[in-house]
Amino acid sequence: MNDRVELYRGNRILLSCLYWAFVVYVFVPLILMVMMGFKDSKFIGFPIKSWTLDWYVEVFRDAEVMFAFGYSMLIAILSTLISVVVGTWIAVLLEGRRFHGRAVMFGLTVLPALVPGIISAIAFRIYARWVGIEPGMGAIVWSHAVHNVPFVALVVMARLSTLPKSQIEAARDLGADPLVAFIRITLPYLAPAILGASIFCLLLSFDDFVRSFFLGGYEPTLPVLIFAKLRSGMSPEINAIASIALVLTAIIGVWAERFTRRLNKDN
Amino acid sequence: MKREISASNDAPRVQSGVPDRTFWGRLTGWAPYTAMMRLVTASPKRQFAILAALPIVWVLTQHLGPMLQMLRVSLTDAYPVAPGVEQHFTFDNYLRFFGDSIFWMPFFRTLTFAAAFTFCTLVLAYPVAYFLARHVSRRNQMLFLLILLIPFWVGEIVRTYAIMILLGNTGALNLALKWLGLIDQPIPFMYTGFSMGVGIVYLTALYMLLPLYSALEKLPKSMNEAAADLGAGPWTRFWRISLPMTLEGIASGCTLVFLISTGFYATPVLLGGPSTTVFAETIAGFFHVAGDQWPTGAAFAVLMFVAALLITAAFQKLMSALRRGESR
Amino acid sequence: MTKLIYNRRRFLGTAAATGAVLASPAYLRHASAQSGGEVNIWTYNNFVPDSFKSQFEADTGIKVNVRLVDDQGKQFNLLAAEQPNPTVDIMTVAGHRFLQFIEGGLLAPLDTGRLTNWGNINPVYSESDWSTINGEKWGAPILAGMEVLAYNTEVVGAEEALSWNTLFSDKYKGKNAYIIQDMMSIVMLMKGYDGNMVEYLNDPEKAAAIVEEAKNFLIEKKPLVRKYYDGGAEFQQMMVNQDIVLGHAWNGPAAALINDGFPLAMAIPNEGSYGFVYTYNIANNAPNADNAYTFIDAILSSPEIGAAMTKASGFISTYKDVAPHLSEIEQKSTSFPEEQLANMKFFRAEANELKYGLVDPAVEAIKAA
Repeated sequence: MNDRVELYRGNRILLSCLYWAFVVYVFVPLILMVMMGFKDSKFIGFPIKSWTLDWYVEVFRDAEVMFAFGYSMLIAILSTLISVVVGTWIAVLLEGRRFHGRAVMFGLTVLPALVPGIISAIAFRIYARWVGIEPGMGAIVWSHAVHNVPFVALVVMARLSTLPKSQIEAARDLGADPLVAFIRITLPYLAPAILGASIFCLLLSFDDFVRSFFLGGYEPTLPVLIFAKLRSGMSPEINAIASIALVLTAIIGVWAERFTRRLNKDN
Repeated sequence: MKREISASNDAPRVQSGVPDRTFWGRLTGWAPYTAMMRLVTASPKRQFAILAALPIVWVLTQHLGPMLQMLRVSLTDAYPVAPGVEQHFTFDNYLRFFGDSIFWMPFFRTLTFAAAFTFCTLVLAYPVAYFLARHVSRRNQMLFLLILLIPFWVGEIVRTYAIMILLGNTGALNLALKWLGLIDQPIPFMYTGFSMGVGIVYLTALYMLLPLYSALEKLPKSMNEAAADLGAGPWTRFWRISLPMTLEGIASGCTLVFLISTGFYATPVLLGGPSTTVFAETIAGFFHVAGDQWPTGAAFAVLMFVAALLITAAFQKLMSALRRGESR
Repeated sequence: MTKLIYNRRRFLGTAAATGAVLASPAYLRHASAQSGGEVNIWTYNNFVPDSFKSQFEADTGIKVNVRLVDDQGKQFNLLAAEQPNPTVDIMTVAGHRFLQFIEGGLLAPLDTGRLTNWGNINPVYSESDWSTINGEKWGAPILAGMEVLAYNTEVVGAEEALSWNTLFSDKYKGKNAYIIQDMMSIVMLMKGYDGNMVEYLNDPEKAAAIVEEAKNFLIEKKPLVRKYYDGGAEFQQMMVNQDIVLGHAWNGPAAALINDGFPLAMAIPNEGSYGFVYTYNIANNAPNADNAYTFIDAILSSPEIGAAMTKASGFISTYKDVAPHLSEIEQKSTSFPEEQLANMKFFRAEANELKYGLVDPAVEAIKAA
């Protein structure tokens, strides 16, 4: 028995080393990025001869950057809401049901994820005009929502496939109609997958450049603004912008985590 | 076997018996609601039709619409149509791919790279997801996951430049190696398959982590313990229990990562070398340079799409065959 | 190319005299009475100086909406997708690229008679061979760029940089970079051909043979190159990281590095090189065409505005008499010795269809090789 405990602990230490190694891999470029935001030069890179806070001062003075940040956030949230509803709906339809055209339906569902960015952006742009959607926030939200649906559907389907049928059946036996059974049994079971998929969609939307560029109006989203600024060089200013975005999102993330934790406790 | 165990684990319970005074109880007792539900669920067929209506309409108008437009463009000889120019139907854009071997190399390279990166990502992400799901207390899981997710908010381009600062000749890694006295001359890490891999795995890790995590997270602990009691070592447990039971998550993670990898553009362009040109670059070329080549670009995109779709379909088939084999 | 030098000298003198008169903001007061409304512009970061923008808005009441772009192809695609009712009034296209826009019916000819400040532009640019197409002017030149050989002065000697061959020498194996498309034109020039391919408009076979030769040369030299790059920011980063010590570059990004104190210098090698000019163009069916003219006229009004654009972008101003408004290092990083300038030609668009029909597949072949 002791051997087994030893083995378990060894395993755990090995795994935690791998985890923290991964954290290092993920964070080292970020630390470099944040560092470069304080470099007193127009270009990032070593050696750093002197440090400055000027880039940060400039960013906070620059109303355009602040606006772009809020604008990107808003777009991310709105498009995620749409993708989550539609993606979950599609997942419920596809998982565990056999019907004619299921394979076709599945193929069509994942379609937007397959199309390379530039092609999908142009396709969206042409289609938007055909349908009559004006370029601007609505068009960006729409394109992000469509693009993110497959990811929600795939993640939710994976989770849904493991939902014990017996639970739903039990609920139905007890008189719950399909809608109530869905909301009270299926949805809570799917919650982690939906939450994961939402974070994922937020990221995709917040990070998207091509679609935002082609479908946007005269207000740039953050990636569009960064791309435009990049033309005159990768300056520490861009790193400062990204660092601020990082800190703000980290705060929001930790707050959200605390919030859900409290929510769980209350329940 | 798997079902019963997880069912007993964390099933939310439905109240029964006595009249239910909760919101749900009142709702289900409310006449208009019951009437509506009766209407909706009158027959399985109708119930299915109502469930399927929104997805079908959405998928046809939102997913298929833009793609059909692209397909149509790929079959024309001029797009966008300039005034006074007539548009003709043609297959030439597709024939161009098959007629010229210079396009094949980036095409197959992209598929190979995508498969290789998918594999690397899986190998890297699995232990991380495993640790998160199995060795971190439930309270902290979300926090640990968030730690990994936060960096992905930075945006592809800024992150990619940060990797240049890490791997360049005067980058952090070379400086560190020099400081440690391990090298005299900087090692040229940048603009190689290595730097490209570092950048891409960075991008794909997240897409792999989430599905793996959600698959591993619901793997019942009791099963591993039971196996351990029967004398199964960690490797046996991994091969016989964890791996087979998370095939579903592996399948969806790999599908996601593979699909996304075939479409990567900025990272390979910025971090790759002269001999790592990917097909997305070829396609983008038709839209960037000298214009008037949209139809060819669209046709090539269709080809890439079909190839990626076939591969994922085959992969999914393989995985479901494996799963069937396991459950037998 | 003696024409270029002649023009430069002659107009440098007259510029000072006319400058003061033309810089007068009288037209602005006139314009503010006439309209208001807005003007929509697609342009690169820093191509519309902030101070000018707020001044213009205050003086005329016209709101300036700037949409930042990062590439010519995207502007073309975006504009094409918006036809026939574009949202844009003014775009920023490089001179040798606007033939494609004109043929697509995307641009309106520029009525230079409506621009009182047209004469503020150095005629080297405003009256150059590429600028008139179908008997019309299509854009107002604002900034000029060049294909140069840029090098780290701590590693590469100034003499070495006077030949493009240095870029392909074994000595700098794995320490150089270039943009393939641009390099194709330069290699043609190195081999003594017309990189614009205008001379071969009637001889497509010869054109194909030349492109083939250039392609084979670049494939042969592929083992020596560190990176085929696309954007100026990449070039700057490779230099800063010392991944490369020399490379082909546009003068703008290189000048920005020089201005920041990096030990970099640039040269127009003896084999020659090409230049290009960014212009403000008015879209066909522009929703606010009158405001667009007001805007272009205003931005051309003073060399100070031209200098501000040069400071921000590193490209050479097309305005007369900009030098007094630039610092010493900025002047240095945006000028070349006369004997080097004599080797410079402008890109031309007449043969673009022939040229890129051959060059684009060649570029793909080089990348795939």
